[in-house]
Amino acid sequence: MARISINKVWKYYGTSPAVRELNLECDDGSFVSILGPSGCGKSSTMRMIAGLEHISAGDILFDGQRINDLPPKDRDVAMVFENYALYPHKSVFDNIANPLRLRGFAADKIKERVTSATKLLEIDHLLNRRPSELSGGQKQRVAIGRAIVREPKLFLFDEPIAHLDAKLRAHMRGEIKHLQRSLGTTMIYVTHDQLEALSMADMIAVMHDGELQQWGTPSEIFNRPVNAWVAGFVGEPAMNFLSAELRSEGGNTVLTHPNFNIPLLPQQVALVNGSAKREVRMGVRPDALSISTTRPDGPVIEGRIYVTELLGGDMLVDVQLADARIRVKTSTDFTGVADDACYMTVNRDKWHLFDIEDGHAYF
Amino acid sequence: MTSGVTNVSVAQVPPGTSLFRARGTSSDIEARPITAVLPLPVRLNSAAPRRYYLYLMAPAIAVLAFISLYPFVWLIVMSLQDVGVGAGEWVGLKNYTRLFNDVRFLEGWVLLAQYSAMCLALQLSIGLLLAVIVNGARWEKFLVTALLMPMMMAPAVAGLVWLFLYNGTFGWYHWLFQSLGWLDSGSILSSTDTAMLAIVLVDVWQWTPLITLIALAGLKRVPQDQLEANMVDGASPLRNFFAITLPNLYPVLLIAIMLRFMDNFRFIDAALVLTGGGPADSTKILPIYLFEVAFKFFKLGRGAAIALTLLVVTIILGKLLVRIFEKPKSERV
Repeated sequence: MARISINKVWKYYGTSPAVRELNLECDDGSFVSILGPSGCGKSSTMRMIAGLEHISAGDILFDGQRINDLPPKDRDVAMVFENYALYPHKSVFDNIANPLRLRGFAADKIKERVTSATKLLEIDHLLNRRPSELSGGQKQRVAIGRAIVREPKLFLFDEPIAHLDAKLRAHMRGEIKHLQRSLGTTMIYVTHDQLEALSMADMIAVMHDGELQQWGTPSEIFNRPVNAWVAGFVGEPAMNFLSAELRSEGGNTVLTHPNFNIPLLPQQVALVNGSAKREVRMGVRPDALSISTTRPDGPVIEGRIYVTELLGGDMLVDVQLADARIRVKTSTDFTGVADDACYMTVNRDKWHLFDIEDGHAYF
Repeated sequence: MTSGVTNVSVAQVPPGTSLFRARGTSSDIEARPITAVLPLPVRLNSAAPRRYYLYLMAPAIAVLAFISLYPFVWLIVMSLQDVGVGAGEWVGLKNYTRLFNDVRFLEGWVLLAQYSAMCLALQLSIGLLLAVIVNGARWEKFLVTALLMPMMMAPAVAGLVWLFLYNGTFGWYHWLFQSLGWLDSGSILSSTDTAMLAIVLVDVWQWTPLITLIALAGLKRVPQDQLEANMVDGASPLRNFFAITLPNLYPVLLIAIMLRFMDNFRFIDAALVLTGGGPADSTKILPIYLFEVAFKFFKLGRGAAIALTLLVVTIILGKLLVRIFEKPKSERV
């Protein structure tokens, strides 16, 4: 178990930076997820922690000790690879025993550890199989077994469940989270799937273009994104963005758009006043909107239904506005059909305003 | 259910089980047992025609038969005859039985085994080492091209070049080894202690690059993630090489070994130029002896018999090699 500090770390491939001045502090025993699209530098970060890539600049510390120059074998980390990286010519037992053998454990100790790890992962009946005789989910468990058997300081999971089918993925999410809790080992989990990060991690680092965008708990990331990019990346279906203008009308600050005029809440006015430009980007998640075919009281967004999609338990409605199309999540009793006029009210506690240029969030 | 009723295969469904199956349109989605909707095709289409393959291949087969099969059959026939210059005389298996009392034939086998084993061992170890060094090096492409130079030379020419290098009066190696005190008197090629090593060295010089080239191709395909996983698991680079890289190289190394050992049994140009089997028959490996019997003494029948035994042994050894290497491969999958 260890506290991981990443101090001003840069990674260059040739002259192009893949990671730019990354700072992270992972508490002992915490589950940290690095979230971002492909090419954001998340895998490079993980590989630098593992010792598979040279750290171009900055330091990585385990419990305050600089480990930049240690080879991977001396860092006491265990890694699970995206495509499992099992040794195909070795049996499941030998795969899992490999890190122990390389560290010179006694045979009976190896047997004991492998047995308890495989029991925990419910693969103790597969010990004599070869990796080629396993299903994807089983391979995944073997790879995890190889990581936990050593009781390392730190787990590094590199998109470990990206190749599993959706149902198994959902199952493994719970399994991995439970495993980490019960072992209490610090875990860094790299993923491009925001759902995985939100559902499993204690803390999430959102990365984009090699830069850390936001560092926070899942609920902070989801509810208070620091910029439009994070807001758009996290959440499924994705947040709706609209260009709008801020205007003062009779003492109120109002957000104006061809399809609506909605006043800001008083506490939001305070956040906007003085700093915000006239033009802003408004962001609202599909579930922060409620839709109706009859006009309710109060400020509404008027639009026309473009298409409705039934998702089993919910319904997604695409609504055409003057300059954009937005999505609204509603219940299945919604009766509107395409080309109907519709009216949406916004839950103003849950909307966001972003700077039109650099995208930072006012609230 | 209207059409196809007469033409269905009905699977046995235990009573009480309800199996339903949906079909294309929504009006079809109703309670319908799965057993009722498995019509067999009325008739199968004829198999894809493939007779023309033979016509397309016929010219190639004819040419092959003429240039390859005909001489081979003739070789077998010849080995059963006492052929010199001119017509032969049928002698049955006498050519073969005589071989077993022929000391130089048996000696030729021993020498060939020594020669081939030394060549293979040196070429494999040096070739593999070079491949590992060159792999991923900054000047990789240039280095590979440079390494391939010896291979581009005709073996007989290579033999001539080394003949000069080994020469007892002005040869560079001769001078070097004598300066180092490794060689007391006489030239390298005229001493029975060193002549064999000398022809091995030429083969190693010329053909190690081939092993390097093949191993290099194999190295590119070693799964990087397994290497990395093993590193994180705690393996040193050397251990990583033996645990991951080498097992992944087995299939390509098999090809390399096969090629080289068969070449050792066939390519004698350089050795012929350098020693011609001497001194005192110390380098008279079997193919050189075969060459002498057939083309110096024109005992074509005996030569054919030696050639055939050589061929049979080559085939058996080849099969054996494949079997040894295929075994771990089938376990790898």
